[in-house]
Amino acid sequence: MLNLIISTLTEGFIYALLAYGIFITYKILDFPDLTVDGSFPLGAAVTAVVINNGVNPFLALLISVAVGALAGLCTGLIHVRLKVRDLLAGIITMTALFSVNLQIAGSNMSIIGIDTIFRLMPFGDMPQIYRKLIVSLILAIIVKIILDLYFKTQNGLLLRSVGDNENLVCTLGIDNGNMKILGLVIANALVALCGSVVCQQQQSFSATMGTGQMVFGLAAVIIGTTIFKKMSFVKGTTAVMVGSIVYKACIQTAITLGLPANLMKLITAVLFLLILVLGNLPSKGGRKHA
Amino acid sequence: MKKLVSFVLAALMLFSLASCSKSSIPVIGISQYGEHESLDNCRTGFLDGLKGAGLVEGKDFTVNYQNAGFDDNITTQIAQNFAANDVAMMVAIATPSATACYAAAEDKNIPVIFTAITDPVKARLDSGNITGTSDKLPVEAQLDLIRKLQPDAKTIGIIYTTSEPNSVSAIAEYEAKAPEYGFTIEAVGVTAQSEVTMAADTLISKNVDCMSNLTDNNVVGVLAGILEKTNEAGIPVYGSEVEQVKKGCVAAAGIDYIELGKQTGAMAAKILRGEAVASDIPYETISEYGIYTNTPAAEALGIDIPADITAKAIESAE
Repeated sequence: MLNLIISTLTEGFIYALLAYGIFITYKILDFPDLTVDGSFPLGAAVTAVVINNGVNPFLALLISVAVGALAGLCTGLIHVRLKVRDLLAGIITMTALFSVNLQIAGSNMSIIGIDTIFRLMPFGDMPQIYRKLIVSLILAIIVKIILDLYFKTQNGLLLRSVGDNENLVCTLGIDNGNMKILGLVIANALVALCGSVVCQQQQSFSATMGTGQMVFGLAAVIIGTTIFKKMSFVKGTTAVMVGSIVYKACIQTAITLGLPANLMKLITAVLFLLILVLGNLPSKGGRKHA
Repeated sequence: MKKLVSFVLAALMLFSLASCSKSSIPVIGISQYGEHESLDNCRTGFLDGLKGAGLVEGKDFTVNYQNAGFDDNITTQIAQNFAANDVAMMVAIATPSATACYAAAEDKNIPVIFTAITDPVKARLDSGNITGTSDKLPVEAQLDLIRKLQPDAKTIGIIYTTSEPNSVSAIAEYEAKAPEYGFTIEAVGVTAQSEVTMAADTLISKNVDCMSNLTDNNVVGVLAGILEKTNEAGIPVYGSEVEQVKKGCVAAAGIDYIELGKQTGAMAAKILRGEAVASDIPYETISEYGIYTNTPAAEALGIDIPADITAKAIESAE
């Protein structure tokens, strides 16, 4: 039981990195960014290749962040400069990335037996399961703190106002488009970072691992913000971290209950619905809902 | 908020209830990548194999079967669930499940038995407390079969999904072996099932002499649509397993996944009994492949199936 909780928390912390990214695009920029399904495996593909070539796994994290940022930049430029609708801009980059990922790492690539960030941590003989928990917790918290600090800077405040009040940003003489691009760059850098950590955790890359990540991220953001809706002192980043853990716990519960395999998705859906309803879904016609 | 707390508590109780129903009978955790005829056959065969080795379900072992619905992220959580519940053995059907089980099992040194993996070496699953069976296609047997049925054929068209590792490695083998049998391979890659019938049109327009299938999920899924087009164009299609021949492919030299599962079950029985350790058993490739023919489909396309092949055919659809 304890082990199961530890594994689930670990999953939640790791995927919180991706949820932060979606929090920025969906909640702050009001931008449904489908790039995610491509930038997540992109981070994993790059990680698998560089680690297989003897690059330090921590450096692999940074490389993934860089390529993820590039993916976000593509979507941003397509949307802002080429004036393609937000949803389509994401779809275009995601579709292109599918081929890019196959070029980088093939259909799948294993890194079993090679040192990962989890192995390299100086924790002595500690079992992998605890190493993974500690490393993922540290990563989730560090990134959260960096984001929280960034949101308080002048640039961060501008970013937050783009989704809420574009006119305000314009009157300040700032280019809205550039802020959107910046947001997409940060978000996809985080998503690719998550892909890199997941690749190192499950020790393999697969071209199809990105499928459904956007949906997961959205669910995590919405669950998290719904749970803490009445507690305004809780930061958005904290809320989505919790949302990510709750989502993974739902799936683990469905698995643990030993329900018929074909019904698992349905059960998971019912669990989400319960959480959303019990967390009291938005009441008086606010603007952004699930 | 109170409601939420009570819900979380209730969920936790369910959680612990489910996990405390443990007994002393060893549990075999079976993680299957998705619902699919061949993979289902692997599982059925595996359980048959255990039975064949004298192990009785409910007395010597119990099964915790999980299916990831082709979702890579779920495979990880299933494997973690098995590890947390200290299963006696993890059985992984298909590559993504196997790598996930291996990663989750390493702390506790739980043996992992895999099946339906084409290339265990490339997946780095050939060492450690892990063993199993590979479902590599008998490519040479298939080429030989096609040569016998179509002595004048020159090109073989193959549709494959670029993101399926099994298909990619099978294509490489086809391309390497085809010249020995006097064939050239015309391979068309797709990324989704919706592109498969378009790829079939492409191959037909390139005038291939026949088409050969892999165990590619996307292609096999719309086989009926492909056959409709190829039958009109008069191009024979060769399958890779018995199910495809039943659906209308002319013939196949393929694997029987039930047999593959049985072979895997026999290996697992040895490990469960403590007669062997997974890390000492090398992975096995199925040695026996079956020849399957579909006489009506062949006749419709004007292909004579030589008597010596019909005689060898394990199953002949009428």
